[in-house]
Amino acid sequence: MASEQNRNDSNNQSNCADYGRQRMPRSSGRWKCSLLLAVIISFIAGCAGKYNLSPADAEEQAFEDLRSEIREVIDEPAREKEAIAMVDALVDDLDNLRQKISARRERVKQLNADYDTTRAEFEAFYDQVDSDIRSNKRRVSEKQRALFAAITSDERSAIAKTHTKALDAAIRHIETI
Amino acid sequence: MLIALFTILLLGGGSTATLAYIADTQDNVKIVMVKDERRKDALSTLKAMKKRTNARNKQVRRSMKDLRKELGQDNVDSADIDAIWDAYFAEIDQYDHDMLDLRWELKGHINREEWQEIFSGD
Repeated sequence: MASEQNRNDSNNQSNCADYGRQRMPRSSGRWKCSLLLAVIISFIAGCAGKYNLSPADAEEQAFEDLRSEIREVIDEPAREKEAIAMVDALVDDLDNLRQKISARRERVKQLNADYDTTRAEFEAFYDQVDSDIRSNKRRVSEKQRALFAAITSDERSAIAKTHTKALDAAIRHIETI
Repeated sequence: MLIALFTILLLGGGSTATLAYIADTQDNVKIVMVKDERRKDALSTLKAMKKRTNARNKQVRRSMKDLRKELGQDNVDSADIDAIWDAYFAEIDQYDHDMLDLRWELKGHINREEWQEIFSGD
């Protein structure tokens, strides 16, 4: 009877051990699955949040990041202020450019839709656009030179990545027009 | 950094002010015009416009590549940069000229009523 009891106890212990051996990995596997699922959901949510931004919002955010980066990188308040002012000026230029592009697009469509538009009218329009582009080129070059003069080479390298991201966001926004 | 700025400049330039979009009106032409020789000619002109635009886009990409190369050098030669820009502006002028020629060629295949219908969405 005693040996029967011992055998039962032993079986119970063995079953418990087996159960533990089986349960632990399963429990661990579930935990890992849950963790992986949480990571995937967070990633998707993060991506959705990022890509749900409109191009205009993405650009605004990217330039705000650039201003923050400049504040972190440039120690001297006067130069920091100057660099931020240049970024603000660039943002203004981009706004103007977007308006101009929309207006040009509308104008060229108006000219084309009119069966009676003369070649001279088209050429006058193109001359105006050409003049705008040349003046944009000059302005961009001047601002670029001013920005390079205001910041050191190390500072330039430090903000390069954020600056490129901001300009990429600006390009994407322009492409949506 | 400078390349990105110039990209913006190029995007804000001729590429957005051209007649390139006309080449995408083949479907409208097929709807509005009856299937005849004139429609065939009109579609052929639109195809030529598309081909010309593709060539221009290739040229713009080449200009960007040349600019990147020049600006990546330690000693930037402003004369070389100016030469790239001059080539770019010359290409823009030639493209606009060619596209206007093609537009007038297209007009030769399409009558006033058809034209208004094709481009009424504009």
